[in-house]
Amino acid sequence: MDAYKFAIPEIIFGRGSLKYASICAQQLGASRIFVVSDAGVEKAGWVDKLFDILRAQNLDFVYFNDISPNPRDFQVHNGAKHYEETEADVVLALGGGSVMDAAKGIALVVSNKGDIKDYEGANHVKKPLPPMVFIPSTIGSESNISQFTVITDVERHIKMTIISRTLVPNISITDPTLLGTLNRELLIAPLFDSIAHAVESYVSPLASPLTEVQSRRALDLLIRHLRPALEEFRLDDLEQLAVAGACSGMAFTNASVGLGHALAHALGGMYDMVHGIAHAMLLPSVMRFNLPACTSKMATIGKIITGKTFATDEATAQAGIEALEELRAEIGIPARLREILPDNTMLPTMSRNAAKDICLLTNPRPATWKDILNIYYGVW
Amino acid sequence: MTDNANLGDICGIESIKLGFFREVQRKITELKKSNTTIEQKRQDVQSILDGIPDVIAVLSMDLALHSVNKAFYSTYGGIAPEGLHCYQVFKGRTEPCSSCPVALALESSTQVARGLQILNWHGEKRQIECTASIMHTQEGKPHRVLLLQRDVTLEKQFQVKYFQAERMATIGILAEGVAHEINNPLTGIGGFAEALSLKLDELREVAALCNKTGLIEDFEEYLQTILRECQRCSDIVQNLLTFGHREINFHVTINLNDVVRNSIQLLGPRLSRLSPGIVHLELSEREPVVLGHPGELMQIVLNLVLNALYAVQEAGDVTMSTQIKGNMVILQVHDTGIGIQEDHIPKLFEPFFTTKPPGQGIGVGLSTCYNIISKHGGYITVNSEPGHGATFEVILPYYSD
Repeated sequence: MDAYKFAIPEIIFGRGSLKYASICAQQLGASRIFVVSDAGVEKAGWVDKLFDILRAQNLDFVYFNDISPNPRDFQVHNGAKHYEETEADVVLALGGGSVMDAAKGIALVVSNKGDIKDYEGANHVKKPLPPMVFIPSTIGSESNISQFTVITDVERHIKMTIISRTLVPNISITDPTLLGTLNRELLIAPLFDSIAHAVESYVSPLASPLTEVQSRRALDLLIRHLRPALEEFRLDDLEQLAVAGACSGMAFTNASVGLGHALAHALGGMYDMVHGIAHAMLLPSVMRFNLPACTSKMATIGKIITGKTFATDEATAQAGIEALEELRAEIGIPARLREILPDNTMLPTMSRNAAKDICLLTNPRPATWKDILNIYYGVW
Repeated sequence: MTDNANLGDICGIESIKLGFFREVQRKITELKKSNTTIEQKRQDVQSILDGIPDVIAVLSMDLALHSVNKAFYSTYGGIAPEGLHCYQVFKGRTEPCSSCPVALALESSTQVARGLQILNWHGEKRQIECTASIMHTQEGKPHRVLLLQRDVTLEKQFQVKYFQAERMATIGILAEGVAHEINNPLTGIGGFAEALSLKLDELREVAALCNKTGLIEDFEEYLQTILRECQRCSDIVQNLLTFGHREINFHVTINLNDVVRNSIQLLGPRLSRLSPGIVHLELSEREPVVLGHPGELMQIVLNLVLNALYAVQEAGDVTMSTQIKGNMVILQVHDTGIGIQEDHIPKLFEPFFTTKPPGQGIGVGLSTCYNIISKHGGYITVNSEPGHGATFEVILPYYSD
């Protein structure tokens, strides 16, 4: 590709930047804000804080919080109905990937109508969405920056990936202090999600110099601040992880992701498992599969993870992959699917589902459903 | 989904975040289009309303005028109706009228009510039929009132005329019946009087024998009087028969002089109560022949003479003249009566216009004359100076074979 495009929302980043939520919504023409969040964020106290900020500006708002992890299609439709009934305008999401992805789905359905599954895949959104202000309460999804949303189709047991430039929020507000109310358990999964984003966007055929630098920077920050953050939970480290998250988001929204996400989506759709954990289990195997197609880049990744260069690119890459496996073990994430899934009967179905995932399009090495089954078997 | 997708779909230069500009433009175009359609529809509706010659006004529920049609402006010229209440505009009142079609419509189950009102239109009192119907919102709630005002003055006049005509026809039939009834004894009287006349010579001989010649003179005179009066009665009866016959052929050649003479004859009893010689006839020597309806033409003459007699009251003259001027037959009825006020002259031939006290006339006489004359292709004018009498001039086409 001889020309690149790098599209991201307006990004506000900084400690205490949550307070700009009201101004941003107001500038986007809000007269009744549709606030989307969930019980977890409420419990942390951030929802009330946001309400106070909105009230301080005398902004009218309605609230929608019926969202579960791996948000469901019917939740999106309920939200869209609520949005229409309350005659809301600007969508303001405060939360993790589930909340933000659901908010995007709602915004998509209210303006484009129909069923959320009508828009599965890339570039099927035909009408502009209501203005969106997204405030992540954690890292990992980077839905606040990306053109992605992932919604679970309850009937088909799959996670639908919807990609559209129009899904890029208007404004992203990242306040690192929000990460302060997380705990170790809550932070583990998002970290691996971010690593997967950094790695997959880096080796994507769509990667450009503009995204590669973000991918490398994200991975570097993650590796350096992950352990101290999990141990001490200091804001300085959390803030760097937030920067890493933003970098990975800027990378993958433009370069997309690959096979790892296709596998994780299929797994999450079937078993409703935590997305980041799926990545922790699958990513090393996916990297091994892709290695022949992007050895040099894998070596760069290996060097960032391990800080070392080996005799060959392949050796450096392998070292990186092994280091990730060690990190996973160190943190205490299972290495085998058999440890968390009831049985292996669904693996072929999941493989076929993964083979249809839009993310597979941007994997450096083509993968058939049998290749995918092979990987699932390997992780089993 | 991956089947049709390509890398360009995910991160192509041409795939951009959709903004509202194009959407708004599209919407604006749509709205403009629908606005044009709606405006055209509105125009059509307004044109329909404007095309209706009746006054149409849409009132809000508090009786304020919401919109009106063109006829409103031509009828209530100079009024800017918006915001005014119906009772202000139509009645010049400051508060709602006690009972009006609008109030009735609101109470009625059919939500439509009709009523006759006397309203001031074009500066004169007219009989207006007001129809009020309630307009509803989509939810079926009363929303506005559609008020339709139709000038039914002319219809009412026609109605009165119709009744009048009915009455006249009845009178005509009666008169005809009466005439026939009278005709028989009249024939008897006349016949026997004639028979008696034939006996006069014989009687004269007998009288001479008895030396009673004066008796014969009395007999001769009385019989002649009987015969003359019989003839007069016969003429009156003949006139009545003519007057009653409305269905006879319109195209009859009539000597207008005969019409005048017959009319005077009909008015004999009445004239006999007035000072003698009050009516002068100046009839044309050439026969003023017109084509027309004898009864109707007599109606004209009778009307004009009766009006003239009413105007002169006890003292004065009435002159009736006929003349032929070119192709015109001119009938003039001149009186030296009280004359006609100047401002009454334009209204003189309008139905129901009368200066007579109640009970002495309803004001249809001259308007009927006007219509009859018009029907005969003629024209009627009046000249008057208050205090110096009046002259009515009827012009009819001269029928010269």
